Amino acid sequence: MRYYLIVISLLVFVLGSCNDGNRCYESVDTLMMSSFSINGFIKIDSLTVKGLDRNDVGDTLVYDISSTLTKRYSLPLSLSADSTGFVIKVNGKTDTLYVRHAMIMKFISEFCGFAPNYVISGSRHTLGIDSVKITDSKVNPQSIAKLTNDQNISIYFNAATH
Amino acid sequence: MIKILVSILTLLLINSFSGFAQKPKADIWRYEGPRVGMDLSRFMLPYMQTAKRNGWEIQADVPYKGNFFPTFEMGMQWFDDKHDTFHYKNSGSYARLGIDMNIVKFESLKDHDFVFVGFRYGYSMFQQETESIATSNYWGSITTSLPRHDMTAHWGELVFGMKGELLANFFFGWSLRAKFPLAVTKDANIQPYIIPGIGKTGGGTPFDFSVGVYYRFPIFRTKTIPKPIKMGGAKHPGLNDENDQNSQDYGGSQSGGSQNYNRR
Repeated sequence: MRYYLIVISLLVFVLGSCNDGNRCYESVDTLMMSSFSINGFIKIDSLTVKGLDRNDVGDTLVYDISSTLTKRYSLPLSLSADSTGFVIKVNGKTDTLYVRHAMIMKFISEFCGFAPNYVISGSRHTLGIDSVKITDSKVNPQSIAKLTNDQNISIYFNAATH
Repeated sequence: MIKILVSILTLLLINSFSGFAQKPKADIWRYEGPRVGMDLSRFMLPYMQTAKRNGWEIQADVPYKGNFFPTFEMGMQWFDDKHDTFHYKNSGSYARLGIDMNIVKFESLKDHDFVFVGFRYGYSMFQQETESIATSNYWGSITTSLPRHDMTAHWGELVFGMKGELLANFFFGWSLRAKFPLAVTKDANIQPYIIPGIGKTGGGTPFDFSVGVYYRFPIFRTKTIPKPIKMGGAKHPGLNDENDQNSQDYGGSQSGGSQNYNRR
């Protein structure tokens, strides 16, 4: 009995010493999934998105010159401000979109750390944008895994000006 | 005459030696009492993990009806985990209440080695805080912190283990534990990934192990070997119960697993 006690104790100690590694296997990038469309008939021939007041080389978030009816891109939101501005150029016409949000840092895991989580509360935009529909106000690291036809916001441009 | 004297002396000597030989054996008693010990695995933890994890835990049990051991455990833990993008601290105290049940037969009055299964209810009071949370994206970078948050946790444990008497009244033992968190205080920013008394909570059922040394205070004594607990199943007629054999050897009562204890 005592022999088993000691042998099994050693085994328990060895098993207890094992750990499951120290790598992060989860997404830590928080991006707002956004769709861009004019209407069901007019294609977007070119789309460029930049952050407001970000004009340096490399500041372009989206540059897409393929012709499609709808485009989907994930956009980063501000970490320190309660709204984020984007300059959106569609078919040569430039508009500005402001997204209002609240942010908290949320823990993912021991090895992934924290990621910002947002709740979108509203938007403002210039006249070239017809409407902005918030379909899912929660933006978190899982948002970039959203399937086609599922996004955080849908941006509809004014057909008359595009 | 000399022959008679020699014969008498010889008879007296033989009688005296036979008297030594017939001296009654010393009484054999089974000593029982509360057992108090320390979980050594808590001191090993700092060497098994990258994060600083320190603590202590004391464990105590009392025999009840031979095979049951109501158990009380309490301890404290300090956890300090520094990563590149955050610095997490967590500390607190905990207590567990439960019972262990011996599942093997004691072979003799002197045999106190046992294998047990048991359960615990645990409660922990702790606090956590996170500093230097750093993140960055297209818009820049920020460093923030989360203030100290007082929290509590309740959980249940299933326990399996062994304890053996290595020296008189000194025991060594280990246990494996599966832990089932029942309720933990909510935190909007971070649910604790380690809880004093439970251990790491990330992913599935937390498992833990414990290796301890214990001292038994031999307060009670008995001449009865605890009767093994019947686990159910068919009993074969005509087979002698080995415990009855023990009863005959030591003249103890075996009824219902209870024992007659004498205070030492």
